[in-house]
Amino acid sequence: MAAAQPLLEVRDLKVHFFTREGVVRAVDGVDYSVNRAETLGIVGESGSGKTVSSLAMLRLVPPPARTVAGQILFDGEDLLTRTPKQMAALRGRRIAMIFQNPATSLNPIYSIGAQLTEILTWHEKASRRDAEPRVIELLGLVGISDPATRLRQYPHELSGGMRQRIGIARALLCNPSLVLADEPTTALDVTIQAQILELLAELQARFRMSMVLVTHDMGVVARMATRITVMYAGRVCETADAATIFNAPQHPYTRALLESMPRIDHSYAGPARRVLPSIPGRPPNLLNPPSGCRFHDRCPEAQVECRRLLPVETAVAPGHIVSCLRRGSPGIVA
Amino acid sequence: MGTVRYILRRLIFSAFLIIGVSMILFAMINAIGNPIEILLAERPGITDEIIESITQYYGLGGSVTDRYFTWLGAIIRFDFGTSIIYNLPVSEMLLTYGLETLKIQIPAILIALLVSVLISVLAATRQYSRIDFGVIAGAMVGHSLPGFLLGILLILLFSYWLGILPSYGAYSTRNLLMDSMVIDGLWHMVLPVAMLAFFNTATLTLLLRASLVDVLRQDFITAARASGLPERRVVFGHALRNAFIPVLTYLGILFGLMLGTAPVTETVFTWPGLGALYIMAIQQLDYPLIMGATMIITFMLVTATLLTDIAYVIIDPRIRLA
Repeated sequence: MAAAQPLLEVRDLKVHFFTREGVVRAVDGVDYSVNRAETLGIVGESGSGKTVSSLAMLRLVPPPARTVAGQILFDGEDLLTRTPKQMAALRGRRIAMIFQNPATSLNPIYSIGAQLTEILTWHEKASRRDAEPRVIELLGLVGISDPATRLRQYPHELSGGMRQRIGIARALLCNPSLVLADEPTTALDVTIQAQILELLAELQARFRMSMVLVTHDMGVVARMATRITVMYAGRVCETADAATIFNAPQHPYTRALLESMPRIDHSYAGPARRVLPSIPGRPPNLLNPPSGCRFHDRCPEAQVECRRLLPVETAVAPGHIVSCLRRGSPGIVA
Repeated sequence: MGTVRYILRRLIFSAFLIIGVSMILFAMINAIGNPIEILLAERPGITDEIIESITQYYGLGGSVTDRYFTWLGAIIRFDFGTSIIYNLPVSEMLLTYGLETLKIQIPAILIALLVSVLISVLAATRQYSRIDFGVIAGAMVGHSLPGFLLGILLILLFSYWLGILPSYGAYSTRNLLMDSMVIDGLWHMVLPVAMLAFFNTATLTLLLRASLVDVLRQDFITAARASGLPERRVVFGHALRNAFIPVLTYLGILFGLMLGTAPVTETVFTWPGLGALYIMAIQQLDYPLIMGATMIITFMLVTATLLTDIAYVIIDPRIRLA
């Protein structure tokens, strides 16, 4: 392991939704860490607990959800034990978030300038007059042309890509050490997606910040992430550096996920066409998750013990963590 | 540029609207027939000649169009004729009674606005909590309670049992409280204002809470929190202004119709207001008063609607002025 302490360390995080039907275990014992100036890609299907775990970092999980257990060590301090006031001072300043849908994540009735300067004046006690040139400078950095004019415009006057650039600028205003990007390109056109990813990579290198990139898109993490965590049904399946995940995946779910990605060198039409493999079954209902390994009922390698025992995350190689009984993880009865 | 042209266009439209209402009103009153005949027929000693001369005196002879234009010309000069029952200039009555109504309606709406904002924030930020359910239940009950019932209960409690607040009228008939018109007047306003404010608060809270709950779920609210803005600023600065957009229409109508919407309160508290006077005028077929009051209420509503539309343009930049 590297000697330097990771910037963010999440240990055994559990976020549950307390609904009328029962407890939904959206995030159920998740561990991961983010080193300084690296990008951790968190990959998983819809409902695997990716977004909720990012909101948990900011202690902003919406009711009826609650963070029920775990530790979130940011710079060595547990965020879950901080007072609400300390937490508020951290948000937007040291940990910032980029949202999935730029159409809904900006306030429609305030101008771009008003929304961005408000954050800066609040955190840094700067005057509006001092804040504005800095906002303009940052808007230029995120690739917005004529930023002084944009400042007076409203979100509805801008395109989706432009709004997402504003969203990125908002996150970077106070030069945070950690940026949580929740599906930042999902709501955008494919061509714009590439531009935004490029911008994020460039800004991350420039400001040497750490980033958690949450996505369901393997292509996005392949391009952006230093390390990748694969999540399934509120638990981590596998964590490794990006090359290992793509070249030597261990967990059956990771393998199945990679196999179900269309490849440019395969033909899916015409006489020699292949069938794109898919994972049989459906993601489990987390109100009543499967016993043992969450993936066992869809797993091609599952055996009897997988139904009974919950695998514990285990290192199969330095920095390569897998939780699968078939890969040597010990199991616990849960 | 755009805004000024928009307001000008809306002004012209409003003028046509008022003229349209005046035509319909005039036609409907005219359809009733000659009010002098209706009021005086079958009374002893009334001959056709007397009816004829009184009809001429009130300007009710001649063709409908002639009379309409005479009337329209007069109301533009704020001359609504003379009340048949009270034998006073209608314009003077509208002013006196109208001001008395405004005296209780404006404070009631403003108080309701303030209180409903506070209650709605309290409830919406704690959605599905006991406080929230309590607020919803209270507002529902308040919204559906018969007006006169609350008025009578207020009189029973504060005037009859406690004996601390007057139960009727706008001023004391004999000794003014502390020998001051102002203090005595304010003293008399308390119960009617409380009653009106209560009902307005209930309805406004139902609307505002629902709207606020909806806005608080939006991404940009989470984003504002994630930016580290304090909760007070997120709720009052970012959420409330958005939540007000759908409520604005109701608020406009509330202000626009306020001259005519307090008859029950005015009746329960014997308040010399326009709403109660209006209903009385209809019962007594005091047609100059009916027409005058209708025109004033129309004018207020059209003006309030115009102001609401202008407020929308100011509060919501997404509204395009086409």
